[in-house]
Order: sequence, then structure tokens, then C-alpha cells
Amino acid sequence: MRVIVILGRVLDPSGIVVKGKAGRIFVNREEYVLQPADRCALEAALRIKDAALAGLRPSQDVEVVALPRGPLPDDDVLRQALATGADRAVYLVGQVANLPYTDDAAAVRVLAAAVERLGGADLILAGATTMDTGQGQLGPRLAEALGWPQVVGAWHVAAADGRVQAVCQSSPLLVGEEGGGTSYVTVEADLPAVVTVLPGVLKLRYPDGARLINVYRGVGEVAEGLEQWDVADLVDMESLKPLLERRGQDFPPERERGVRIDGTPEEMARVVADALRQHVGR
Amino acid sequence: MDASYLDLLMAQQEEVTEAAGGGGGIWVVADVVNGTVAPVTLEAIGAARTLADSLGAYVYGVLLGEGVTDLAQTLYQAGADGVRVADHSSLAQFALEPYLKVLSDLIEAEQPEVVIFGATAQGQGLAPRLAQHTGGGLIEHVTAVSLDEATRTVQGAFPIYGGEYFEIAACPEARPQFLTIEPGAFSAPFIDSYRKGEPTPLEVEPAEPAVRVLGPAEDFEPSPVPLVQAPVIVAAGRQAGDFEMVKRLALALGGQVAGDRGARDAGWIGPEQIVDVRGVTVAPEVYVAVGIRGDTFHNAAIEEAKFIVAIHPDPDAPIFEIADLCLEADPAEVLPALLEALA
Amino acid sequence: MDFTFSSEHVALRRMIREFAETEVAPLAAEIDREGRVPFETLKKLGEIGLLGVCFPQKYGGMGAGETGYCILMEELARVCTSTSTNVGAHIGIGAMSIYLDGTEEQKQKYLVPLARGEKFAAFVLTEADAGSDAAAIRTRAVREGDSWIIDGTKTFNTNGSFADIVTVLAVTDPTLGARGGITAFIVESNMPGFKVGTHENKMGIRGSSTAELIFDGVRVSHENVLGKVGEGFVSFMKTLDLGRLTLGAAGLGGAQAALDWSIRWAKTRKQFGQELAHKQSVQWMIANMAMEIEALRSLVYRVAWMVDTGQPFTQLAAMVKLYGSEVGSRAIDTALQIHGGLGYSRDFPIERGFRDARISEIFEGTNEIQRIVIASNIFRQHGVRIRP
Repeated sequence: MRVIVILGRVLDPSGIVVKGKAGRIFVNREEYVLQPADRCALEAALRIKDAALAGLRPSQDVEVVALPRGPLPDDDVLRQALATGADRAVYLVGQVANLPYTDDAAAVRVLAAAVERLGGADLILAGATTMDTGQGQLGPRLAEALGWPQVVGAWHVAAADGRVQAVCQSSPLLVGEEGGGTSYVTVEADLPAVVTVLPGVLKLRYPDGARLINVYRGVGEVAEGLEQWDVADLVDMESLKPLLERRGQDFPPERERGVRIDGTPEEMARVVADALRQHVGR
Repeated sequence: MDASYLDLLMAQQEEVTEAAGGGGGIWVVADVVNGTVAPVTLEAIGAARTLADSLGAYVYGVLLGEGVTDLAQTLYQAGADGVRVADHSSLAQFALEPYLKVLSDLIEAEQPEVVIFGATAQGQGLAPRLAQHTGGGLIEHVTAVSLDEATRTVQGAFPIYGGEYFEIAACPEARPQFLTIEPGAFSAPFIDSYRKGEPTPLEVEPAEPAVRVLGPAEDFEPSPVPLVQAPVIVAAGRQAGDFEMVKRLALALGGQVAGDRGARDAGWIGPEQIVDVRGVTVAPEVYVAVGIRGDTFHNAAIEEAKFIVAIHPDPDAPIFEIADLCLEADPAEVLPALLEALA
Repeated sequence: MDFTFSSEHVALRRMIREFAETEVAPLAAEIDREGRVPFETLKKLGEIGLLGVCFPQKYGGMGAGETGYCILMEELARVCTSTSTNVGAHIGIGAMSIYLDGTEEQKQKYLVPLARGEKFAAFVLTEADAGSDAAAIRTRAVREGDSWIIDGTKTFNTNGSFADIVTVLAVTDPTLGARGGITAFIVESNMPGFKVGTHENKMGIRGSSTAELIFDGVRVSHENVLGKVGEGFVSFMKTLDLGRLTLGAAGLGGAQAALDWSIRWAKTRKQFGQELAHKQSVQWMIANMAMEIEALRSLVYRVAWMVDTGQPFTQLAAMVKLYGSEVGSRAIDTALQIHGGLGYSRDFPIERGFRDARISEIFEGTNEIQRIVIASNIFRQHGVRIRP
């Protein structure tokens, strides 16, 4: 079974300071980290591989392949994936406009072609959201491009026997419940399918030390898993023009702290629930 | 003139008749929850109305479900000029493929300029696939819109880095332009209860959903994740009362449980869950402090949290200086109501 | 001259930092208060291969070299000196002695499980009357056919109370002294006669175990002689030489933590209407701290590079330990001053850092010994043999 994981990088938010009043963003420390949701997707893929190896399912060789979410100036993210346990990673090189802002529509063209060149896959996992674009459309767009079923916003993923099962937060839309507390629901689809994984839902494993050293030194079996392809070989570069254009930034109003909510417990609860729903926004 | 005559006049004036065909328009795909139109849909119609007025276009609503035909009136009352209804048993529950089929056929037939969804589970599933299918552009989680009238392009602002600031994007050429809007970001439109109209039923070809809902995940509990990686944290202090309620709140929000030193002393949490500059410093998107008084060590550890809600009975609790929303109340009273409201 | 870290070391540091902040830091105060060794942390470190960070992969290690090991010590000490002490005793002197002097068989049998974190190591040297004067040890090993019987008591031993494999120095020929009369042995702690005595009640690094070890007729096979009979003292000194470097790295981590805390406090604390950061006296303290840390950092990683490229390092390693321990002590002392009364409180980590730092000038060769080593090396290069 081939599981593809889509990985992207993002500026470490702890190195960024936003001064809303001045309308400026200061990057004090330019360090990149893996997108947190993508890290959960990788963790989910590796757990599927672990489960297969542990023989919890009839023996099925699971191959985990990492692909980049968009144009990357270096292959660091892919090496991290290999160090953490992926079997292969493909670094796609080539000029794509609007680096680092990736238009998901353009990225999907490249990814769909990459999947084809890999010879297809059984499951594609991606983060459900990206910190620096605030968008979650890559996974579903890719699913549409490939014509596969999709599960958006998974808390847990398991795959075997030609099927993928995921746990998602239930909503009345999904199961027609009439309230009763937030609960989780299990959904299932036949493979091949695309599943997007939420950030912060799985305890992430650390890379294996020896694999880490070897992949960055470019030695050993783990380094052999890193390949490099030219985007120009996959798609017509002209067709990669992004659909979206950045038109600037806006800054939220000064954060208002100490806002007291009054009323009966029910009234207070309603205000808080609305606000929480907005901010938790998964 | 008596009131009833006035009513009659108003009613006659507000019968909406649709302009003949023509395509284009600002479309809103409705979310139906528990048999009613979700507030985000009404907000979307309000936003659509503003765009449509500037563009000289019409606002159309789309209802999908079973037994939803009567809900069309709600959309008219919110400002829709036309409503399409796909009322069919196969659409009773939201499922991707059946809904996609209806919508993609509709989009092909009507060629909308803009299609707006609520950023709900339904919208987040449908919008990207439709955008990909039609070759349109999509901006998700939009909290504000403006219009580039020259190119008839919608500019959407959306939060990034957990709301630290907003990016503005637009789709200048590809059509339709798809948007998903954040619930509560746009104001509810004026509901004109006299406005009504005749919705157009749509032919529905049942399609098989590719994703099967197996049922409630009874035993599922989110795995414990290190606090520094958790986007949502619910923390308990000595005044939290029933710790089980705190755990249930965390579950409801999909968050991790934490606490201050007092919670550790009470034996509720482990050492790796103490939120304190001497313990773990956190920067979640949401931090709910239940019964935490908030001393310097605790408050310094949550400085970087994006949104803080504090519940404590003492009005002078230092936590209220840094919390965004402050509830001077006994957690034992507020938590049950909060869990109810979140359901 | 390229002063950049290679990409694998950058990636290694990133991983260790995340580990340190997520797994080690939350426990630091508690293990100090309770005086317990964080076995759960050591297990996690072992699982990802960090307990064999510097050993070649063919021995189950990570192959990151001395540089990788210094990075590990620095990042761990930055959040918890007790943890870095546990790790340092295991890797840097315990397992290292087998790596430096073991036969291939011994390495396969003992080093591999240690590097994999499956077993723990300790390095057993010090006795009640033999501290700095290491050659004055009295533990005796007597040959009996194909085995040796070891008798004696060792004190102040780190990790010995829970180690599975210990390397111990014993006198095999009392007439010969350090040159020819002392031998090193590999002892497994489950061998009959090996006992753990009293535990030390220490001022600092209370999350590490320091105990008395009793060898009561412990019988080991002749195959467990580490290195050559009679050459134990020399080989142990070699191991200690290398261990010094990483102690300096730990000092660097502690100093960096002291600086980070101080900056944070200076930014927050207001007196006389201004944050401390605006007070010149505090600015100078911070500047001095930062300067010493930079100098130490350059020294640590330069010497690590020299080790990794096979260059002689004894004198420099002693300098690293000496300077690292002193910089660490000065930094935390300054941090304590900057934090004022709060720094003195046991509810705040500064006082723990203060207690933890003090030992670094004493163990692994006191700073006085380091100075002798450095001076001896210097004078020997100029043709003068210092008489001890």
C-alpha cells in the first residue's frame, strides 16, 4: 500500500512579531518548521505503516512517500520526513511563481502529475490547514483532480484491506443528531482516497537519530529514498499560473482584553460558546 | 389606513419575481442544521447582497436537503432574489458526491460569478471540489470582503497564523469565484418578513456517497498531545470545581487538559500539564482558564495565547487582566451551561 | 574557515531542542524536588538513539560525533542539568571507556546495548581517599585463574545505582602504582557481590543519582579486562579527557539558560518606572554574560571539531571544562542577582540552576586539576616536565 504525505513548511510563528498598529510584520528569526497539520499527517501515515509492520493487519508492505505542498527552496522538509520514517521523498524543483505563496490550484496540478509518475497511490494524507495561508483547499482539490473520495478534518486515520477509516468531529450535518454534546464519528471510504488531518491531534514522534544523521549527510539507505524531479517534466510550466493573487494584508484591531461578560450563566455561556466556536474554527 | 391594509400593500410589493435566466449572479449555498437555515447562510446572503448591489447582479440561494422547500422563504427574507431547491431523500444528510452532483450541474447551467459557502464541514468539503471541478478560484475562511469593481473581482480577507493578521486575496480571472465565509464574521442581514418568492425545484439525480458514516466513535478520545503543540487548551485551577466538567469541556473543544500549580497539588494533572513559566509555556489559539486565579508565573506562561477565556468567582483575579473574555462567575454554574451551548 | 554547523548537526539540534522543551523541561523542577532520576526521559532518549549520539552506527550509535554529543549536552543542560548529568555519565564516560579501549567483542557485547539505550552505563573511579588523586585508589583486583576478584568501595558514583554495565578501575599490582599497577574492568551490575551503598544527599543535580558502590568479591572473567592489564589508569584518563569537553558543553547550556532567563526578566520587571533592561548595570551584566557565552560556544565546538577530525585535544578539552564550568557559574550567579529576591526563591528555577552549576567546578576533575593539566601540557611543549 502506498501512502503519500503532502508536506509543507512555514515560518516559525515564534520568530514573527506583528505590530498591528504600525501595520507591519517583523521577522525576528527566520526559521522554518514543518506545517503542524502536515506533521500530524506524516505521523498518521507512519502509524499506518507501524500497524502493518506489527502484523495487526494481514501483511501489507506500506510505503510512505513524502511530496512537497508547494515550491520549496530546499529539500529540508523532505529530509525531515525521511528521518522521521518515510521511505521515499520527492523534491520537486523548478520555478513556480509567487514563492512562498502557493496557489493551491497550481500546486495540485503538479501533485496530480507527480502521483501519476509515482505510479499512483492508495492513500494521500495532507494537513487540513496551513498556518500561513489559512486555507485547507489543497487536499480536497487534489481529491477532485484525481477523482477520489475525500475525508476532511480527521482526528485519527487507519487504513488497511482497501479501506480507510477516519474519526472526525461529528456535526449535526453529518449524522443528523440534535445536539447532545460534541462527539466523534467514524467514517469509511474505499481506497484510493484523500484524507486531511487536523493539527495537534496526534502525539508526534521524533526522528530516528541515525536516520537523521544519514539523510542529512546523504549516506545510507535512508538517503537513497530522496529523489529529485523537475516540475517541468511533470507539467507545462506555462499552465502553472496561480488563480489567486495576493492583494495585501490587513491587521486586526488592537486586542481588547478584560472584556467582562455579564448575565445569567446561560447568557454568558452563549456568548462564550459563539466566541469559542469562531476561534477554535477547525 | 389601518395596519392590515398596510400589511397587504407591503406583501404585494415584496413578491419577488426573478429576472429571466441570464446566468451570473452571486450564489449562496445554504447550510441546513436541524431543519433550519444556519445563521452563517443568512450572513452569506447579506454579504452577497452587498456585492450584488455594487455589481448590479442578483443574489441566488441554493437549498439542498430533504423537506427543505419551505426554507426557501427564509432565504428570500434575508435578501435572495431567487432560490433553487434540491429536495430529495438522497440529500437528507450532507454527503459529498450527491451534493456535488447537484451543484456542479447547477453551476454549469447558471454560470455564477461568485459562489459563497459557510466555512462549515459542508462548505469546506464542497467548495474546493467545486472550484477544482469548474476551474474557479477559492478563498476560504473569509472574514471580510471588498470589491474590485473594474474586474468584478471579490477581494477576501482571511486570518493567518491563528488570526495574528489577515491576508487579502482575489481571483482576478478564473470564474466562478468561490468563497467560504467564517460564521459570525459577517453581520446578519435585515430579515424582511414580508418578502417571499417562488423557489425553482431542481432535478436531482441520486448519487452514491463515497464516504460512509459508520456511526459514533464511542470510545474515541483525542490522544494526549504535548501542551506546546496543542491548538486548544482547557486549564483548571483550584476554583474549577468539578474536574470532570473541565475534561468534558476540553473534549467538546477538541483540546488538551492542563492546569496551574493548584491543579497539580490537587492531583488532577501531571507535571507536564502545569502551565507555568516554571513548567510549560504555551501559545495555543484558544486557552480557557477555569477557576485559575492567575498569578504572575501562570500568566507569563500564556502570554502568547491568541484568545483567552477566564472563569473565576473573584472579580479581582489577576487572570482578568490578560483574558479576552472574563466571566466573574463560579465555574460550577457556568460550565454546564457552556457545554450545553456548545452542543 | 567555515564556522557553520553542517546540516545534519543543525537538524540534530532542532530535534533535540524540541525534545528538551517537550519532554525534559516539564519534569525538571519535580525531579529536583523529589530527588529522582527521570527514567522515563532516559527511555525516550534511548528510543530515538540519542544515548548513543557519538558512537558509530555500526555499534548501534547515531554517528553524530563529538559535535553531536556536545549539542545534546548543551540542549539538555539548557533545560535540566540533572538530565544532562545522567546522560553525560552514561555516554561520555561510561560507554565511552568501552568505545575507546574495548576489544571488538567487548564493543559488540557491551557498547551496542548501551548505544541503543537498552542498558545504562557508569564510570567508576573515585574513592573516599582518591578524588583528585585518582592513582591513590585502593580497590583491589586479584587474579584467580581465568577470573579476577574485585574488592573495594567506590564513592560519589553517578549512575552506578541503576547502571547495568560499569567500568571500574582497580589496583592489580600494588607495587607498580599508576603506571602498570592499575587495570580497568567491565562489570555487570547483576554480578554477585556488586552492591549499591548509600546515596549522596547533594546540593544540586538532585535529579541524578550519586551513590556508593561496593565490590564484595565480584568475580569477572579475564575477558572483561578493559584494555591491557596494568594500563587501566592511562585509559581512564583518556576517557576523562574526552568527557571534559562535553561537560563544557553542558556548562554552555546552563549559561545560555541563565542568559535567556535574565533577558526575559529584564524585559518584564519594572522598578523606578522602567524595565530593568533600561538600567545600565543590568545591561552590563547581560553583555558580559553574552560575551562569555559566545566565547565558550566557539571554544566548545572548535574543540569538538578537533576531536571529530582526529586532532590532539587534551589541553583544549581541559580548557573547555575549566572555562565552561566557570562561565556557567558566573552566568547563573549573575542571573540570580538580576532576579533579586525572586531568584532566591525555591519556587523559581534560578536557585536550582545555581545549585546545579556549582558541582561543575568540582567533578570530572576539579578546576585545579584542569589548570595543572593545561599548564603541564604547555610546559611540556616547551621542554619542561612538571613534577606533580
